[in-house]
Amino acid sequence: MKKYYVLLMTAMMLSLAACTGNAETVSENSDSEIVEASETVSDEDTEEVEAEETEETVEEAIDYTIQYPIAITDQAGREVTIESEPQKIVSGYYISSSMLIALGIEDKLVGIEAKADKRPIYKLSAEELIDLPSVGSAKEFDLEGCIALEPDLVILPMKLKDAAATMEELGIPVVLVNPENQDLLLEMADIIATATNTVEKEEELVAYIDEQMSLLSETRDEVAGAGIETASVYLAGNSDFLSTAGNGMYQTDLIALAGGYNVASEIEDSYWVDISYEQVLAWDPEYIILTSDADYTVEDVLNNENLVSCKAVVNGNVYQMPSKAEAWDSPVPSGVLGAVWLANTLYPDYVSDDEYNDIVEEYYETFYGFSYNEN
Amino acid sequence: MKHSTVSVTTKTNIAFISGAAVMLALFFLSLFVGKYPLVLSRILAGDSMQVKVFLTLRLSRAVVGLIGGFALGIAGFVYQTIFHNALASPDIIGVSSGASAGAAAGILFFQGATMITVCAFGGAIIAVVFALLLSTLDKSGRKSTVILAGIAVHSLAQTVLMCFKLVADPEKQLASIEYWIMGSLNGINSHIIGGNIAVCLVCLVALFVLHRQSILLATEETEAKMLGVNIFRMRLLLLIFSTITVSCIVSMTGLISFIGLLAPHSARKITGNNHLSTMILGGIVGSCLLLGADILARSVAATELPVSIFTSILGAPFLIILIFRGRQKL
Repeated sequence: MKKYYVLLMTAMMLSLAACTGNAETVSENSDSEIVEASETVSDEDTEEVEAEETEETVEEAIDYTIQYPIAITDQAGREVTIESEPQKIVSGYYISSSMLIALGIEDKLVGIEAKADKRPIYKLSAEELIDLPSVGSAKEFDLEGCIALEPDLVILPMKLKDAAATMEELGIPVVLVNPENQDLLLEMADIIATATNTVEKEEELVAYIDEQMSLLSETRDEVAGAGIETASVYLAGNSDFLSTAGNGMYQTDLIALAGGYNVASEIEDSYWVDISYEQVLAWDPEYIILTSDADYTVEDVLNNENLVSCKAVVNGNVYQMPSKAEAWDSPVPSGVLGAVWLANTLYPDYVSDDEYNDIVEEYYETFYGFSYNEN
Repeated sequence: MKHSTVSVTTKTNIAFISGAAVMLALFFLSLFVGKYPLVLSRILAGDSMQVKVFLTLRLSRAVVGLIGGFALGIAGFVYQTIFHNALASPDIIGVSSGASAGAAAGILFFQGATMITVCAFGGAIIAVVFALLLSTLDKSGRKSTVILAGIAVHSLAQTVLMCFKLVADPEKQLASIEYWIMGSLNGINSHIIGGNIAVCLVCLVALFVLHRQSILLATEETEAKMLGVNIFRMRLLLLIFSTITVSCIVSMTGLISFIGLLAPHSARKITGNNHLSTMILGGIVGSCLLLGADILARSVAATELPVSIFTSILGAPFLIILIFRGRQKL
């Protein structure tokens, strides 16, 4: 990697020398000059590779650096061309904002989605984001406010397709993302990392997520091997205890990852659905899990007279997903931690408290730069 | 007698001039209030981003405020006149609930602002055509039949809307439907307004051409009949034009409350009659209200607010003041 930086420096020096202007003009280089510079790098790079062929092993064989301009296909299928490495980014979606922190480029954010002060992850990891100008939410996006920030990359949720089209016309590159499930989340990570030249960090993140995935898979095998019955789980939604996630939802996948079974998965619905107490009693789940942002508490559920005969309440197996950093029940980059937490809750003999704590600690320490357990 | 006519005319003239002045002032203010810092000198100098923002976003929004408010005021005037009913407004025969149900369908089954606009427009027209068809079942041609049929269609459309809300994803689509119903000029850009504005202008011209007939309908029906007006057909025609006008606007902006009801009332309070001047003044008051409300909606908070909040906040006191001033003079 070091060699590459040397090359980059040389290339920069070359383009500097080519410039007749003073230092100020150089810093305001036009896009074409930047492209030229990067092309110079790639030229020398190939020469270098040829020269290196004689050497036995090339450790840094994979070069993650992005050559600009680059064309990306976003999750709405739009082709977006990014002329140079983005320096002023607006993220209008908490999931992409969290991803940018994980990729280590939160300092390039100039605008953020609404209600950033309500998300503990910013307070813990990147407090400065809370004070950034808000560009609104998917429901009421502040188009003019976003343009006024003069961003060179805007990341928005799929719902803001129209706003994206308008900004595209004004010459602002917009990437639409749609992290509805784990696969789409990883795809989003890939798109954002490519756009922002942070592929190396992304690979690290993906490797970490994969590691937890295989740990969970091992746990499921062990549980099944030991002849333990799959734990049945009722997931109680944010707004109401009787609101739950049907089969088509991310939350059902999350429960399955942790080795559980969503009792509501018989409902073929890809949204939150409202059910009745009778239905909960008929399912009689062994565990009741409250979402991170639930408006009610575990106490409320344990004291709910309608549920006194429910197995989960009788055995005191009612838990709320942690909400200290992020809502792990939503497809955020840290979503896999929700599955680890749930595995620890359902099968403490197989995923111990220590194991769970270490995993969470390492994740936030590595990608967000704070200690989860000490905060 | 003569003296009072003169004073009324003078009063009307003053109202016209000041109304038009306020309207123009608000229009220009509307061009330069917003989150993106537009500077006139930089637009004139041809700064490409400034020009683009101005043309694509700001200008179209101000134009919709101007024409939309005007159209809602005029349509409200026509409705109130032909139904002889001070409470008649486009809502009464199901235009807004039809548009809401249409917009909800657009949000649920399609994507993009254009489709939502098309669906809302379709919903409004379907509702009104249905109401008018129902009313033709009553051969006597009473005007109350149209209103009754309208109320029936209105509740039917509300039911359809409720069903759509029920199947909507509460986290995303339901919120979008609710926001649409509150109305906003936030989503307006130069690409979606062209067709709507054109149709709206054509209908406005038609309403002005037919203004004499609509005022005749306001007089006693027997009198109108004697003057050779086919009441039933004329009422139908005026209803269709004013409904299309309203549909063009609300399908772009979402529901905008109160203007259709309030603007013509205010105009009538000022002029004291029911003539062409009142109709135009109703339009001007409507424009001022919508432009003013939209300026507030985009500037008082860090985020965009629904415009209907402000049309009501601005409109209600205005109407109350007019009513009380009218009382004192009597």
